[in-house]
Amino acid sequence: MIEFDFAVVLAEWPMLLRGLGLTVTLTAVSAVLGALLGTACAWARLHGGKGLKRTVGTYVEIVRNTPFIIQLFFIFFGLPSLGLRLSVEVACILAMVLNLGAYACEIVRAGLQTTPKGQLEAALSLALTPWQIFSRVVLPPALARVWPALVSQIIIVMLGSAVCGQISAEELSQAANLISSRTFRSFESYIVVALIYLLLAVGLRQLLFWFGPRFIFTSR
Amino acid sequence: MVEFSLWSIFSFLLGAMRWTVLLSLIAFVGGALVGMGLLMLRFTKLRGMSTAVAWYVQIFQGTPLLMQLFLVYFGLALLGMDTSPLVSAAICLTLYASAYLTEIWRGCVNAIPKGQWEASTSLALNFTQQMRYVILPQAGRVAIAPTVGFLVQIIKGTALASVIGFVELTKAGQMISNATYQPFLAYTFVGLMYFALCYPLSWWSQRLEKRRLA
Amino acid sequence: MTDTHTPPFSLVDICGLHKSFGATEVLKGIDLQVKRKEVVCIIGKSGSGKSTLLRCINGLETFERGSLSIDGQALQHNHREAMRELRQQVGMIFQSFNLFPHLSAGRNVMLAPTLVKGIPKEDAHARAQVLLERVGLGQLFDRMPEQLSGGQQQRVAIARALAMAPSVLLCDEITSALDPELVGEVLQVVEMLADEGMTLILVTHEMAFARKVSDRVVFMHQGLIHEAGTPDDIFNRPQTPELQQFLSALRD
Repeated sequence: MIEFDFAVVLAEWPMLLRGLGLTVTLTAVSAVLGALLGTACAWARLHGGKGLKRTVGTYVEIVRNTPFIIQLFFIFFGLPSLGLRLSVEVACILAMVLNLGAYACEIVRAGLQTTPKGQLEAALSLALTPWQIFSRVVLPPALARVWPALVSQIIIVMLGSAVCGQISAEELSQAANLISSRTFRSFESYIVVALIYLLLAVGLRQLLFWFGPRFIFTSR
Repeated sequence: MVEFSLWSIFSFLLGAMRWTVLLSLIAFVGGALVGMGLLMLRFTKLRGMSTAVAWYVQIFQGTPLLMQLFLVYFGLALLGMDTSPLVSAAICLTLYASAYLTEIWRGCVNAIPKGQWEASTSLALNFTQQMRYVILPQAGRVAIAPTVGFLVQIIKGTALASVIGFVELTKAGQMISNATYQPFLAYTFVGLMYFALCYPLSWWSQRLEKRRLA
Repeated sequence: MTDTHTPPFSLVDICGLHKSFGATEVLKGIDLQVKRKEVVCIIGKSGSGKSTLLRCINGLETFERGSLSIDGQALQHNHREAMRELRQQVGMIFQSFNLFPHLSAGRNVMLAPTLVKGIPKEDAHARAQVLLERVGLGQLFDRMPEQLSGGQQQRVAIARALAMAPSVLLCDEITSALDPELVGEVLQVVEMLADEGMTLILVTHEMAFARKVSDRVVFMHQGLIHEAGTPDDIFNRPQTPELQQFLSALRD
C-alpha cells in the first residue's frame, strides 16, 4: 500500500510561498514587457521598413521554433562568453520577455490586421495623427479581439517559467525540487506544486479577463 | 579541457537528435490515438464523460509540462515500476499531447456550421452516421493545420525530458557545453538543430492554414 | 387539388402546440391539420413563429405543450429511433441549403438512402441520377456544391430530400437566400412537386407563388394562426387588420 505524507511537504509552506512569489513576479514583469515588445514588433511587421520587417520576422521565427529551455540556457550560459553576464532573475525575465514578445507579436499582428477599414478612414477624416490613430483607434479594439489568445499565451509563459528552476532561480518549481530532496517525498512535493500552478493558471486567467476590458480596451 | 572538432560535436548532437525525433513521434502518434478516443467519449451522451474529459484537458493545460514529467517519473517509481527516463517521458508526453489534441479537434468539430447537423438530422441519419460521413470529414480538413502546428509544440516539449535524465538533443547540448566550456557554441548549435526540425513544420502548417482560407 | 376520395385523415396533425425559447413564448397554441397531397403556405412577419412551427414538425425544435402527429404517429422527442422513423417520412429543405460541401451533388443525394435505408450503392447512384434529372440537374452529378449556383444548390437539396421518399416536405424560406434571377428555377421544381401530389408545407415570402400553388394559406401573427383560408380568401378578402396591414406592406 502506497503511503502518502503531505504534511511534511505542506510544513514547508514558507519556501512554497517564496517560490510562488518569485513566479508571480517573473510572470507579472514578463507579461507587461513582453506584451509591449510584442505590440511594438507587430507594428514593425506591418508598417516597418524592409530591413526591420525581416529582422523582426527572423526573431519571431527563431523564438517560436526553439524550446524555451534552450533560449534560457543560451541567455544564462551562452551570453557570458560575449561578455554579458546576467543574474539568474534577470536572465529569466529576459528569456520570458523575448519568448512572450515573439508570440505576442503574431497575436497582436492578427488583431491589427483585422481592423475594419472604415475605422482608419474615419480616424483620418478626423485629422488624428498616426500615433493617435494607432494608440486610440486601432490598438484597443485589436487587443480586445485577440485578448483570449494573448491571455492564453501569458499563461503558457507562466507555466513555462517552471523551467527557470533549472538555472537555480528560486521560483515555485525549484521550491518543489528543494522540498523533494529535503523530505524525500518527491511525488507529494510535485503534486502540491502542480496544484498551486493550476490554481495560479485559473486565477491568472480570471484576473486578466477582468483587467483587460476595464483598463486596456477602453481608451482614456 | 579536451579539444573537440566542430564535426564531432555536430555528429554527437545529431545522434541525440534521433532520440528527440523518436520521442516526438511516439508522443504524437500515441497522443493522437488517445486524443481521438477522448473526443469520441466526449460526444457520447454518457453522463459525466464530457466533464471528465474537460477536467483531464484542464489539468494538462493548467500545469507545467515539467511538473507533469516529474509526476509521471516519480509516480511510476512509486507504483514499483522500473522506469527509464525514455518510458516516463514517452508516457507523459503522450498524455500531454492527447489533452491538447483532443481540445484542438473539439474546436474543429464545433466549427462545423449548425446547418450541417440539421440537414443530416433531417435526413434521418443517426449520431454515428452524422459524425462519420458528414461532420468528421469536414472537421478533419479544418484540423490538419493546427495539428501539424502542435507537432512543433511536442518537439519543443521533448527538450524537457532532459531534466529527468533522457539523453536527447538538449541533454546532449548540456553535455557538450560542460565538456568544451563553450556554452555559446553548444546552445547555438542545439538551437539551430531544433529550428531545422521545427521551422519546416511551422511553415507547412501556415501554408495549410492559408490554403484552407483561400 | 384535394382528392375528395381520401378519408378525412390528416397527414400532419398539430393540436394546441406551445413553444417557448427560455422566457419568451414563440408559439402560443397552434392548431393545424394538413391533409395528404395538400399544399399549405405559411406567411407572416418575421418573428411570428413560422419557421419555429416548421422546425417543430420534424423535431429540430422541441415543444412544451400540445401534440403533433405525422400519419397517426405522435412525435416522441426522447425516442431516437422514433425520431429517425419520422424523419424518413418528413423531409426538410433549408434557407441556406446546407449541402454537404465535401460530397459531390450526386453523393449528397445518395448519402441518406445508403446509410438509413441500406440501399446498395449502385441502386442509390441510379436513383440519385434520376432525381437530379427530375430537378433539371442531370449532368451535374459529379459537381461539388461550391461549383454550383445558389439555385442549383437548392435544387440538389430538394433532390436530396426527395431521395428518402418522404410523404411530406417542409420548405423553410427556400428562396430567401437566392438572387432574384435564381428564384424561378427553384419555384418551378416546387410547383412540379405540388402537381405530382406531394404534401407540402412552405414558409415563404413569395406571395405570387403562394397564390398560384397552394390549396390553403395560413397567416401567422405573434405565435398564433391569425387567419387561414384559400389563397383567394387570404389575398383578396383579408378579414383582420393585421393581415390587411401585412399585405399592404408587401405591396409597397
